[in-house]
Amino acid sequence: MIESLFVLSPTGKVIIEKHWHELIPRRVVDYFNEQVSKAMTEGEDVTREDVLPIIASPKYQLINVYRDGLTYLSPVTKEVDPMMVFEFLHRIPDILQEYFGQVSETVIKENFVTVYQLLEEMMDDGFPLTTEPNSLKEIVPAPNILNKVVTTLGATTSVSTRKMPHGMSNLPWRKAGVKYNSNEIFFDIVEEIDAIVDSTGKAVSCEAHGTIQTNSRLSGMPDLTLSFVNPRLVDDCSFHQSVRFNKWESDKVLSFVPPDGHFRLMSYRVNLPSQQNLPIQVKPSINIGANGAKFDITVSLRSTDGKPVENIVLTLPLHKSTTTLTAQCNVGQYMFDPVGKVLRWDVGKIVPRERAPVISGSFGFGSASDAAANAGYNIGVEFLINSHSLSGLKVDVLKLFNESYKPYKGVRTMTKAGRYQVRA
Amino acid sequence: MYNVDAYLKSLTSNAVKLSKKVQDGIVENTRDLRFENQAHFLDTNEDKMRQVNRHSLTEEIRKNLDSKYEKEKLDGLKRLIAVSLVVNRGGVWRFPVMISKGRDVSEFFPDVVKNVASNSLEVRKLVYIYILRYAEQEQDLALLSVNTFQKDLSDKNQLIRAMALRVMSGIRVPVISPIVMLGIKKCVTDLSPYVRKIAAHAIPKCYQLDPAQKDALVDIISTMLGDNSTFTIGGVLMAFDQVCPDRLDLIHPQYRKLCKMLVDMDEWGQITAMDLLLRYSRTQFLNPIGKTTSQPTTRTKKEKSVVKSFYSDDDSDVSHHSSDSESDSSEEENNSVDPDLAYLLKCALPLLQSRNSQVVLSVAKLYMHLAPAEDSYKIGRPLVRLLRTHREIQYVVLNNIVAIASQRPYVFDQFYQHFFVRSTDPVFIRNLKLDILTLIATESNITFILRELQEYVKSSNKGFVTQAIEAIGHCASNIPEMAESCLGGLLKLSYSKSDSVAAQSVVAIRRLLQQRPGDSVFMITQLTKALDEITEPLARANIFWLVGQYSSQLQTIAPDVLRKAAKSFTTESESSKLQILTLGGKLVALEGTASKTVSLLLQYVLNMARYDLDYGVRDRARFLRALVYGKQKVAEATVDQDSDENDHENGQQESDSTEQDAQDDEGGFEYSEKELNLSDHIKAILLSEKAAPVQENPSHGKFHGQIINSPYVKLTMPPRYQRALTNLFPRVVLGREQYKVGSMSLVLNRIVAGYEALPDWPKVQPDPSVRRLAATMEAPGYMNDRTGFGSDSAYAKSRQGQDSSVAGGQGRYDNQAGPYRGAETLDKFLESSDEETSSDEEDDSEEETSDEEETSEEGEEGTSEEESGSGKEEDDDEDEDDEEDASSSEEEAILPPKRANGRRG
Repeated sequence: MIESLFVLSPTGKVIIEKHWHELIPRRVVDYFNEQVSKAMTEGEDVTREDVLPIIASPKYQLINVYRDGLTYLSPVTKEVDPMMVFEFLHRIPDILQEYFGQVSETVIKENFVTVYQLLEEMMDDGFPLTTEPNSLKEIVPAPNILNKVVTTLGATTSVSTRKMPHGMSNLPWRKAGVKYNSNEIFFDIVEEIDAIVDSTGKAVSCEAHGTIQTNSRLSGMPDLTLSFVNPRLVDDCSFHQSVRFNKWESDKVLSFVPPDGHFRLMSYRVNLPSQQNLPIQVKPSINIGANGAKFDITVSLRSTDGKPVENIVLTLPLHKSTTTLTAQCNVGQYMFDPVGKVLRWDVGKIVPRERAPVISGSFGFGSASDAAANAGYNIGVEFLINSHSLSGLKVDVLKLFNESYKPYKGVRTMTKAGRYQVRA
Repeated sequence: MYNVDAYLKSLTSNAVKLSKKVQDGIVENTRDLRFENQAHFLDTNEDKMRQVNRHSLTEEIRKNLDSKYEKEKLDGLKRLIAVSLVVNRGGVWRFPVMISKGRDVSEFFPDVVKNVASNSLEVRKLVYIYILRYAEQEQDLALLSVNTFQKDLSDKNQLIRAMALRVMSGIRVPVISPIVMLGIKKCVTDLSPYVRKIAAHAIPKCYQLDPAQKDALVDIISTMLGDNSTFTIGGVLMAFDQVCPDRLDLIHPQYRKLCKMLVDMDEWGQITAMDLLLRYSRTQFLNPIGKTTSQPTTRTKKEKSVVKSFYSDDDSDVSHHSSDSESDSSEEENNSVDPDLAYLLKCALPLLQSRNSQVVLSVAKLYMHLAPAEDSYKIGRPLVRLLRTHREIQYVVLNNIVAIASQRPYVFDQFYQHFFVRSTDPVFIRNLKLDILTLIATESNITFILRELQEYVKSSNKGFVTQAIEAIGHCASNIPEMAESCLGGLLKLSYSKSDSVAAQSVVAIRRLLQQRPGDSVFMITQLTKALDEITEPLARANIFWLVGQYSSQLQTIAPDVLRKAAKSFTTESESSKLQILTLGGKLVALEGTASKTVSLLLQYVLNMARYDLDYGVRDRARFLRALVYGKQKVAEATVDQDSDENDHENGQQESDSTEQDAQDDEGGFEYSEKELNLSDHIKAILLSEKAAPVQENPSHGKFHGQIINSPYVKLTMPPRYQRALTNLFPRVVLGREQYKVGSMSLVLNRIVAGYEALPDWPKVQPDPSVRRLAATMEAPGYMNDRTGFGSDSAYAKSRQGQDSSVAGGQGRYDNQAGPYRGAETLDKFLESSDEETSSDEEDDSEEETSDEEETSEEGEEGTSEEESGSGKEEDDDEDEDDEEDASSSEEEAILPPKRANGRRG
């Protein structure tokens, strides 16, 4: 049972609180803030992210989610499956995002009545009630300018123009009576590569995580079937509630009645063989002495089917005792953050068969220390390749049943670096 | 003319009216535009707000609430809610205008309640929020609104009906519990599944208001369990859990239906349902897990025996016996899975693909606690998938994986790569991942894991480095085949420039050597060579201890180590000094007083120690002197000390097991009883075989580690208490695996209030026919809407339309072949199988006939439904048929007729 929710600002102040069961005194927030600051002073490089998601106090278990600077705190008194609480707490910002486009302290304050209503509908007496964005929008209208203008211009009648939605759809995730002039549906297949690459350039672990983000703008109750050219590639997957699990089990096709608007149709994982050619190669070499180190890092393209790799950014967190850094790079620009001790190199775009970007330079430690000299270095890599799918998963055909129109269909693919890390 | 005049007049007056109306409309609506930003109600500018007169704001709000324009009412309500809900509760946005709690509430309550019957849904909803929040404080006034709610319960709109019941049951005013009860009774038979769901949610609330209503509520629940709407059933099960969790007998008739509906329920319903079915199954089926059981009974027995063995030796036999008998009994048990249980597991399997991580974890819970061990590999992959989500969810998953892997490591061993630590992982994730890596290490993946662990040693986070080195040690002791290379790696690390790395490696090596005495000579020689370079006290102390312990095999090196140690004695740390003394004592004990050099060295060291600053060192020196040089009186006096000393030593040697401690004690007492000269037994005392440290199970969690290993505790806690604690330990903190998968208690590794352990498997098979006999409970017609949120009439239409064109009837929500039909086919099947071999029991046959009647009714319904969707393409029909066949054959597979009949007779 999830009894209460406090949403805390980055400074630990309560922005909004909601009690579904009984009032929980605000003292608990003070206790929580104390614990957080205590935890954060414990180690040298402990950040807010390192604070435990469940903090036990004498009376409550303080379940907290930290996301985008806001803390969603739910004190519970009794045994409860913590995963359910986390899942629910994460749904809240998801839905606020859906409603307001972004989630921040100001957004919540500006729309607090709507937020309050949403919280009321999402939970009933400690048990999740309606968490599907499409159903919620039937009950709590999303604020948008169009709504306002329509009600203002339809001036003559009283405000009860916003009649109560009469026909709710029989599918919790889809509104009834959706109508578009042009029917279209777009699929964005985004693959993120998670990899750990060791200093010799060999992948220690490597896998692609794909999501199919869908934007559906279809009228009525369309029933879709999406099939892939090579569905066997998929190693493991999870689906939106609308997808019929059995169909995937038996035929490896996605059969579903889509929600209206944006939603994530499917997430999947593809294990890449460790011999798999990663799209780019980062070759670091760091020679460390007692007082500092010399380094150079080369980035080169590997297999991308001739597509350019864009938005390449390398970040190299340095040891805490680093004070100075000088470097030169032939492409892009670099920046050293002397507070966070991070070197960030914005490489930009690499086109195949161009000369490889290199950065070289040296950094010095403020005081000679063994610890600094023995520390290992990890380079974080970001990049983006358009219209490329590393796993090779391809959409074959989309069929539409139940409606007579012919929708416009679009599929885009994109490969990004996910948790991509190179050890030096 | 007159006519024209009159006409003109009326025209102008009409025009005036119209223009006024338009003006009103515009004025009203422009207000709306102005208030696009709701923060307006909460002007945070304090100075400005101080100027505002409290009175005027109150008046304004009241005026708004009394306004005839809905917009203004809305405005007033929003302002009121902002003020009372957000601001008034002190703290954030100071609002000097509205002051203390309660006052403004009583002021506005009547004004607000007046609006409860407003035509505008928006206004009403705000009123509801307000009432829900303040009804408890204003009970009498809240009663004013109840009338409206009762009226609303008959509203045409399902949302209004639902909302009325929700608010009414949410008002925590005990007086109205009979009215709530009436409301629930009314809504339970509502045609809209949404309203029924809300009714189900209201049941626990009503129960809390007035526990005396329990019986009536249980009746309602038992009726509602027959509901066939996937939308409603989740709420019903939740109510069941809250009001009458012990009435599992109510579940019997619904068990198969629930299994079948599982995949179509909403995600939160799935969670509740799986919890309930887990509990149900644990009481209704025999344990299919078999020999490699994780059942709690075995566990507690084992724990008990472990505890006992701290006190006496011969307990080991007892524990053997108990485990033997245990395994015997589980062998006797039928290893085949009950068909009903198998059906549940099969129905839950697709949910592993849910996007809701708790649903996935709940399936894992089912498989861990219900399924035969060989099936549990199915949960590995989906659990690993959850590692790609938010860090909080990762945290819970990893904790659960630790618990699962400590029982069934093979579920995860092929996914070892997913547990590699990234430099960006938060601390708590890292540590859990290390624990898992050590748990799942096998011969096939150990090389990769080891290489990875050695990489972590380079981290700049000291705590993490320590953990990584410990993990290498754990791996080595888990897989003896790999110990060689692990030791090699550790030895290399012990030369590390980083002190802490060196120290930890030596500690890890010491632990390993104790487990594998064969390797010790070579390794110790290597370590002593490094002694000059190693400065970390902990590392040095450990090396001295090792040399002393294995001195019989190190006859050339050991005295030299002592010589070197004696030279540097004054500069050593306390723990090293203690170990040097012990080393000297051991050497002398070994060689007797024959070797003069050694004896002299010891005397030198003892003299140095005599004037040491630390009382522990002085104490140890006195003790050793008495022991070695045999002054009987002193020896007797030191008997008591003996145990303390042992504790001391034990404390230093980190997690040396307490078992050995107890043995040492025993030795001491034995000698004292016989009044022998202790120095005669010096060898036995000093050079007794030390039991190898027991490897901590990572699933026992950090708590365990901290208490035993934390230097802080060691320093502050008197040894006696510390030992008492360690002796108590196995009983206090057990492994995580004893808790229910997914529970809070598992994550925190302690029992959280309200935790309920799983019931034990029954010893004797409970009657399985209960599920079968009653499989055809009557389900009133209104309950046959399977899909959720149905608007009452539009829903039926849309369903027809949909069904007619959907290819392949086997959908999640569009199928006529919903759970209900499933139940029907099952009944028919059972019926026929019963008829074939029907026994002469009259009771049964009576029931059968009534069943028949019902099923025939249902059959009619089914056909009428099919007729309504007559526009089907042929393909669809075929699919339908196929599916029907499939489902009936499915039932067959699950319920072989012979067996079913056998049970009957």
